[in-house]
Amino acid sequence: MKNSIIKTENLSKEFKLKGKNRVIKALNNINIEINDGEIFGLLGPNGAGKTTLIKILTTISQPTSGGACVGGYDVIKEPKKVKPLIGLMLEGELLYYRITGYDNLKFFCKIYKVPNYDQKIKAIAKEFGLNKWLNEYVGKFSSGMKMKLALARTLLLDRDILFLDEPTLGLDVKSIDMIVNKLKNLNRTIFMTSHDMNVVEKLCDRIAFIINGEILKIGEKEEIKKLSNDEVRINVTLNNHYADLRAELEQTSFIKQVTYSTPTLKFILEDRTNFNDLISILGKYDIRSISEKQPTLEELFLSLLNHNSE
Amino acid sequence: MELIRKTKDNISQISALVEKNVKLQLRYKFGLVTSFTISIVSILMPLIIMGNLFQTRPQIGNWNSTNFVIYQFLAYNIFLMRDMTSIFPQQFRQEKYWKTLPALIIGPFNRLNLLLGIFLSHLIVISVPFITFFLLGLFFYPISFITAMFLIILFFIVALVLSGIGLILGIFAISNENIWRILNFLLYFVFWFSCITYPYEIFPQFIQNIINLNPLYYLFDILRLTWIQDNIIITILTYPFHFILLFLLAVLLPLIGIYIFNLIYKKYGITGY
Repeated sequence: MKNSIIKTENLSKEFKLKGKNRVIKALNNINIEINDGEIFGLLGPNGAGKTTLIKILTTISQPTSGGACVGGYDVIKEPKKVKPLIGLMLEGELLYYRITGYDNLKFFCKIYKVPNYDQKIKAIAKEFGLNKWLNEYVGKFSSGMKMKLALARTLLLDRDILFLDEPTLGLDVKSIDMIVNKLKNLNRTIFMTSHDMNVVEKLCDRIAFIINGEILKIGEKEEIKKLSNDEVRINVTLNNHYADLRAELEQTSFIKQVTYSTPTLKFILEDRTNFNDLISILGKYDIRSISEKQPTLEELFLSLLNHNSE
Repeated sequence: MELIRKTKDNISQISALVEKNVKLQLRYKFGLVTSFTISIVSILMPLIIMGNLFQTRPQIGNWNSTNFVIYQFLAYNIFLMRDMTSIFPQQFRQEKYWKTLPALIIGPFNRLNLLLGIFLSHLIVISVPFITFFLLGLFFYPISFITAMFLIILFFIVALVLSGIGLILGIFAISNENIWRILNFLLYFVFWFSCITYPYEIFPQFIQNIINLNPLYYLFDILRLTWIQDNIIITILTYPFHFILLFLLAVLLPLIGIYIFNLIYKKYGITGY
């Protein structure tokens, strides 16, 4: 049985807004448990509470109620014991723009007491393709390079538990692939947030969806993916008789949200088991193309919201 | 052994913070040079005005046309030290906008190291103009080596007091900008009534009464008195209140600053962008 290394119990955080008694719940009774060595992905739209949760778990912010433990220590009562265990990449870069990339890494290595930092800095810079830029001011770096430098900084500190807020934001496909492989082989507990479904799918063992400060769904990757498989988004292009097909689909019980946008009819098949019935309908028409569209993260969120309200 | 290891760790962390801060401040060197030059401009006008005044009144309090240059050279160094009150807000706000503060806050080190890092880095940055004006003072109005060393220590303690004020301002600069602005506004008057560039004796009685209530006046005054008396024992015995106040504030203000830092940062976090 694996040890739980991050655990929250009814964790809530409220922010007071302008005006009398106006309070917004950034986190609402969050209960999660992450095992040692697990890569955990937290997905959610802007303002869902992802960063707030990371800030509490990394002792930066305090919850309004509830509790959390990281590495077996209470983040509120024992922050000094939590700090040596954690590495953080928060809200982008956490970098000093007015000093060089090397000075940034050196500074944090000295603060975090990393031995032989010079060799390690050069090695990780080479691995991340930053070696030529290491002695330039960070202000001159592209956004992707800054992101790589920030991640290099977090990894250099060699902490057991990593909190990564959008670690692949603004990176090209090749860099994302490199970072995914790097993180996968780290053998560390990673708590990450991302908007990139592909990254999360490749990297994470378990996933949670957070919307409006509440965890809507938490589970194994396959279990979460199944949610998007219930409904199938289909795009059909016809040579003619659009109106007829549209009318027929609108009257079909297992079809919903039929829309027409030249030259494509879009609709949702409520369940894959009705696929044969759909084919028999479409067979009557002069179909030019038919394709299944993967749901975007946003669509999955909406789907989750619908599931939640039902 | 444990104590030695911890001390080494702390020194290493403070040196890292100092190195980083100095490099950040030296990124735009002309900004630094102009800030030093502005302080020179600030002491020029009192030199001219008081120079004229001494032609009609040869002695004003302890000051005359011979030793008044020391008053202004010390004023220049006080201006450099006064920047301690703005360096903390400036540094904290930079870290806030660069979002580097969280990385420091979760760093496994005592928060005192963070504050010492800012304090020492500023001392290093101002060291060249400070030493220049200190040596100029020694050239124009020589004093004994012991008094000069004692003055350096006094300046260091004054810097601690001002850094305590700066720390409190810095905390509000990142947690509640309105309060920071108000405190800054009030501090402007506190400095104005502290006789940095003009001697106490030239002010009318009601302003002198206000100055008497200002603790900073005593801190700056003891620097000048130590210099012109050139006898540490006599200065301490003649002005014990000045020294007690100096040491008291040097301990209390940084401690209050750290307490507020811990309290406000944890409770309210960094707000407003």
